[in-house]
This record gives sequence, C-alpha cells and structure tokens, in this order.
Amino acid sequence: MTAALHSLRADRRSLLEQPVARRVPVVARAATVYLLVPWSVAVDSEATEAAEIMGRYCRGEAAAFQRLYALLAPRLLAYLFGLLRDKAAAEDILQVTFLKVHEARSTYVLGANPIPWMYTIAHRTFLDEIRKRKRNRVQLTKDGTLLAEPAADLTGVPVEAGQDEAARPDPAAAAGALAALHQLPENQREALLLTKVHGRSTAEAAMIAGTTQGAIKQRAHRAYVTLRGLLGKPEVADAARPQPEKEPS
Amino acid sequence: MTTKDFDDRALPPGRIDAPAPSPDLLKAIQEMKPVRTRTRFGALAAVALVGLIWPALVLTLHAYRPDLGALPLGWVVAAAALWGAAFVLSLTAALVPRRGDVLPAPGRASRIGGAALAGLFAFALAASVQVPGVSLRPEDAHMTLLRSCVHCASFVLEIAVPFLVVGLYALRRLVPMGRARIGLALGAAGGAMGGFVLHFICPFAGTAHVVLGHVGGTILAAVAGAALLPALLRRRS
Repeated sequence: MTAALHSLRADRRSLLEQPVARRVPVVARAATVYLLVPWSVAVDSEATEAAEIMGRYCRGEAAAFQRLYALLAPRLLAYLFGLLRDKAAAEDILQVTFLKVHEARSTYVLGANPIPWMYTIAHRTFLDEIRKRKRNRVQLTKDGTLLAEPAADLTGVPVEAGQDEAARPDPAAAAGALAALHQLPENQREALLLTKVHGRSTAEAAMIAGTTQGAIKQRAHRAYVTLRGLLGKPEVADAARPQPEKEPS
Repeated sequence: MTTKDFDDRALPPGRIDAPAPSPDLLKAIQEMKPVRTRTRFGALAAVALVGLIWPALVLTLHAYRPDLGALPLGWVVAAAALWGAAFVLSLTAALVPRRGDVLPAPGRASRIGGAALAGLFAFALAASVQVPGVSLRPEDAHMTLLRSCVHCASFVLEIAVPFLVVGLYALRRLVPMGRARIGLALGAAGGAMGGFVLHFICPFAGTAHVVLGHVGGTILAAVAGAALLPALLRRRS
C-alpha cells in the first residue's frame, strides 16, 4: 500500500508534463488507491505494521498476538503507569486491556490503525479502575499492609526497570516534574501524557479521551500553564532544576 | 522554566518492560478462533435500514399536510433536504469511524450533531413558510400551541426510538469513551428523521410550532440519546 502511494507521489510530479490522455489512468489509479486505502494507515508505517498484525490476529494467528503484545504492551503500560503511579495496578489493567481487546477483536475494522483503539480501551479500563478504587478507599497487600507506590520517572518508567542510564532523564529534575505532573487535574494530565509523552495526535487523543480535539488542545495548554506555575515554585523548581555536576578532583 | 524545558524533560517517551501475558490471557489466545471483523459502514447500514421502516410506513400511510401543494416547491425541497442532511450527517458521525480508525470519533459526532441541530433551529426560526388560509393553526384544530407542540415533539421521539434502540445495539461494544457525545448525534439523527416526516404530514406550519414542536422534539431526542446511551452501555460493559 505504501509503495503504491510513493509511486503516486512520483507520478504526480511528472503528471503536469504529460498529455491529457496519459493523465487519465494516473488520476484513476490515484482515486482508486485513495478510496481503498485508509490514508492514515498508508502514510504511517507503524500504524501499517500494527494494522497488519491485528489483521493476522483476527484471522486467529497466536503468533500475531505475541507480536502485537510486544509492540504495544510497553507503551500502554507506560501510559497507564503515568496515569496511576501504581505499577501493580497498571500491570493488572494492562492484562485486562488485552483481554478486552481479545474479546472485542470482532469489532476491529480491517486495515484501520489499532493503536488509538487500544489506548481507548486501556483508558476506559483505567477509568473503571479509578471508580473501583474510590469505592475501596484503602488498598492492602495480602499480608494486610499498605501498597507502596514505586518510584517512577516523568515518562512513567519505574525506576527499577532496567534502562540505559544515558537515556534516563536527570532523576531530580524528573522527580520534580513528575510531582508537578501529578498535581494536575486528571483530564489535563491525560491530555498532556497522550499528546506530549506518548506522541498521539490531537485527533487520536480526543478519541481516546472521548472528547473533542479543541478540548484536548485546551487541556494540554492549561496543563502547560499550570506546570509552568508549579515548576516556578521554589520547592518544586529546586527538585526540577538539574543538579550541577561535581568538578573532578 | 519554559515550555521547551518541559519538552526536554518529557520527551522522548520512555520504554518500559511489560510483564508477560497473564495465564488467563494466554489461555484465551490458545483457544481463539478466526473472527469476522466489522466494516466501516456496517453499523450505519443496519441502523438506517431498521430505523427507516417506521418513518417509511408513516409517510406511506399517513395523509400529507393540506398546504403541501400550495407551498413553494423550492422551499419544500430545501427544507426536506435540510432535515434529510441533518439525519444523514448525524447518523454517519455517530456510527461511521473516520478512514483508518476503528471507533467513531465522539468529538466529531457531537460537533456534527450540534451543528445539525443549530442549522435546523436557525432554518425553522428564519425560514418557516405558511400559506394563509390553507396552512392550519393549532386553534383551527381546537388545540393550544403548547398541546400541538407536545404532540409533534412526542411524534419526533417515537420516530427516534428505533434509531436509538438499534444504534445502541450496534454500538454495544464500540464506544468505550465519549458515549454521551455519540448518543447525542444518534438522538439528533433520529429526531431529524422525525422532523423530516413531520415536514410532510404536520398541518401546522407556524414558526412557533415548527421551532418548539419539531426542532424542540429533535433536541429532546438528542438529549435523550446523550442521557440514555452512557447509562445503558455502562450496564452492558
């Protein structure tokens, strides 16, 4: 599909130099490709790959599920962890999300990008979990003690997860920014996480959160403004400010 | 601290090692069979086909309004086209995902449904036409304006019910988020179809009646959709 579109783009450049009789089949082919190929899938190779895997999964290939899980589970987990700050709960919701995806796979549209769809299901599951948590005010472990929240960096990565040290943000700065992030209202936090941390488009973020693109933009903007205010406060800014490197002795 | 500073800290998105799939999930995967997937326009076709049976019967069996022949043909066609367009656009927005998407977009649905309602309201307010002496007034039928409006609004709701019921069934596993917005568009579509039918059969052509009874009924159908869909879908999920 992508090759067909690249070929069409090349054709378009030379189209105006061609006689009218030769333009007709090119335009007809362009129209056919446009009508048959979901555009957003064709231009986004990641979406194409996910759509292809999802198609195989719907046809009953267990290996396709493993591939889909490997592709999307880390991102969904990071997103859920960013919303919840509870690694155990985020992992539970991830499993429930994939179970829901499995049960709902007949509602998938072949060729469509499954990534925003899966984020939406994860988001819904997260909201259900929040409701459940509000009902169960305190969460205890099996031995009756309170669950400890694991430390995480700004992107939702647990500190204990093995990661390249160079790629990890400065811990102090990340801790400050993370503290500020979690002071945001829930809808602003989710807009910021979706658009800025997880790289979803505003249209996708709007679909995931069940709102309009305008609302997502506004929430993300408000989140920025609030964060600027919070990070400007001395106690948060101190934590967020990069620590000066020590001079080698 | 500027926005860019925050960008520098927030990006790029982090990688995280996900746990292995749970035993329940793996068991479900081992037992899975191929499934027949959905098409983009399947739900729209099903809801439109079932929902249109009742309006088609009403239009076939019910007497037309007495002033239909006396009204300007262009206005009759334009008003019918507007009601029809409001129906088609709202129903499409509620049920058809964008190209490349799996789910209908709630934001787009509410925007289109809201715009359709606003367009109908403006048209009814500014461009209602009646033929003096031929078009009836509520008092000619021994009714108050309020009673005539309630009568027409309830008719609009009757026409909207099949769209809401079948739409609810079609959307039962499709709308994890933004259910109220999708419900608003679905209700607006059903209401617009009710208004379309009334355009041909309702004998009262006064602006107040059309705005309050026909458009008001359509707005009520949209509100009913926005209220009912989330409640009913939540029970099923």
